[in-house]
Amino acid sequence: MENEKNSPLVATLAQRVGNDADSAQIADAIVSTWREIEIALTPIIGQRGIATLYKRTLYLTGATYVWLVGIHEGLHGGMDLAPLRAAFARQNKAAATAGASALLHNFHELLASLVGPSLTERLLRSVWANSLSGPPAQDNSP
Amino acid sequence: MSSTVNINRLATGVPGLDEILGGGLPEFSFNLIAGPPGCGKTTLAHQMMFALATPARPALYLTVLGEPPLKMLRYQQQFGFFDNEAINHSIHFVNLTDEMLTGDLDQALRRIVAEVEKHNPSFVFVDSFRSVVLASRAEGNPQQNLQVFVQQLGTLMTSWQATTFLIGEYFNETDANPVFTVADGLIWLRQSVQRNSMVRKIEIMKMRGQATLPGLHTFRIGSAGINVFAPAGTAVAKRSETDAVPSQTRVQMGVSRLDEMLGGGLPRGYSLLVAGPSGSGKSILAAAFLAEGARAGENGVIASFEQDPHRSRNRIVADLIKNGRVGLVDSRAPDLSIDEIVLLLLSEIRRLKATRVVIDSLSGFELALAPTFRDDFRESLSRLVSALAGAGVTVLMTSELEDRYIDLRFSPYGAAFMTDAIIVQRYIEVDSRLLRVMAVVKVRASAHSNELREFSIDEHGIHIGCPLPDQEGLLGGRPTRKHLADLPPAIADDADSIRPSLPP
Repeated sequence: MENEKNSPLVATLAQRVGNDADSAQIADAIVSTWREIEIALTPIIGQRGIATLYKRTLYLTGATYVWLVGIHEGLHGGMDLAPLRAAFARQNKAAATAGASALLHNFHELLASLVGPSLTERLLRSVWANSLSGPPAQDNSP
Repeated sequence: MSSTVNINRLATGVPGLDEILGGGLPEFSFNLIAGPPGCGKTTLAHQMMFALATPARPALYLTVLGEPPLKMLRYQQQFGFFDNEAINHSIHFVNLTDEMLTGDLDQALRRIVAEVEKHNPSFVFVDSFRSVVLASRAEGNPQQNLQVFVQQLGTLMTSWQATTFLIGEYFNETDANPVFTVADGLIWLRQSVQRNSMVRKIEIMKMRGQATLPGLHTFRIGSAGINVFAPAGTAVAKRSETDAVPSQTRVQMGVSRLDEMLGGGLPRGYSLLVAGPSGSGKSILAAAFLAEGARAGENGVIASFEQDPHRSRNRIVADLIKNGRVGLVDSRAPDLSIDEIVLLLLSEIRRLKATRVVIDSLSGFELALAPTFRDDFRESLSRLVSALAGAGVTVLMTSELEDRYIDLRFSPYGAAFMTDAIIVQRYIEVDSRLLRVMAVVKVRASAHSNELREFSIDEHGIHIGCPLPDQEGLLGGRPTRKHLADLPPAIADDADSIRPSLPP
């Protein structure tokens, strides 16, 4: 399996939160990243399709980060990301960072296993394009 | 001044499909691609879409309840035509599952309108339309709802200048399905299964405004996508008009004395049938024909169905293939059709600018064909011969002839009448030995020898000897010396039993 740090979604997240973010900011960043994934994929695979991938990703990541287990039960229709935000906000910064990286990495791997890395990159390109065109990472140099 | 509308015909990007469509796909047409599950509808749609769509003329692929889009993308990207970069650029996938689950066709149509306005597509695909039909059953009057939906969709797409494809399955062609009425084009895909072979066939049942090639045409799905084998005749029909005057030149056979028997060689462009029993030397004659061509600077093509091509069947032919003087067509696909063989042959002929073609043998060829084509073997063979004649090549075909001495036959397929020339080989028994004899039976519009000549085969090939003037009844397999045959019948009968001990 690909190294988490090299995963483009994880890099996108790192770019969004910077080094000084607290767990609430990490929670916001992961939710906004998911929203963009949803926007990118829903036209192609439908709301139910993306919700099913989301649930599978939580299941896979929950094996290591047990605090993610059970936040998305009884899934029908669209995704409610509020429980995800709350779960991340409850963690300390280190746990939230690690959990967020694992979650996005697992999602990327899941999609790549279904449609291949190349098409995954094409489908999610808008997600990292948004992050690159967004506000620049904080520059602390004088 | 002509004021009638000029209908553009679009190249579909599917080899052979434009030919059977009658010159391509009419722009702004409203088409139905139908057929049973697994017959290649979605693949056909994708292949056309990737060929047709450009950023300026994008395509919209609407996935409805059928195949999950992730699965579709997973499998379709295995084909050579699939281009990741085209997605979200010149090709937009849109999922209508959520709208369809409500069973409200109006809502689905509204979403389609919104997506069409958003992307301004030149091509729209709805996959699969069966799900639309099923969804419409959720409501009161399904047939009428569907009719209204199709009518509105057709009107919308045409006014939006989009060429449209509905992909559907399980349609019954005898149904008075409203889709059939509205559609400008009906492309039907089928699978014909016979024993262990499955052959894919495509039929253009309707295409408004143009003459299509009627009937079922075979196609194959390979890693590059779909390849339709248009009938052999269409590609060469134009050529044969210009080459209508028969050639006066002759090609040499590579066997001394045979050329004189043929009246000076085989007229160029003729088809020759060499018929004879197993082991009589047909393949050796064919090899000599190709080798003689190579000596004269002519390339050749051999379609071989006889033996394992990896076993060195014939050193001469193997060397010619190795040196690139002869192209080998050697398809062992279980769904082989004559049209496919003709295309393979013609492409090798073009590649090598070949002038000599050998088919060795017709019997092996028939066995290599998918069972479903065997019933039409004679008709197809006739198409093959005329396609090769149209290509201007000289053809030698071998045919296994069961050794029967009670009748005189040249080919088990009645292939004799299709060919311009016939050579027959037979075994005869003389002096407790099996000898071979050969005769030229026919050379169309040319004088030829009528002699039955004995011939032998050694490591240098075929050597034609003399006629056997002192023997007669050669074609009966048990010739008798003439003076015995002249005797009264009762004595001749006795002579039969003592004949093997007679001196030659």
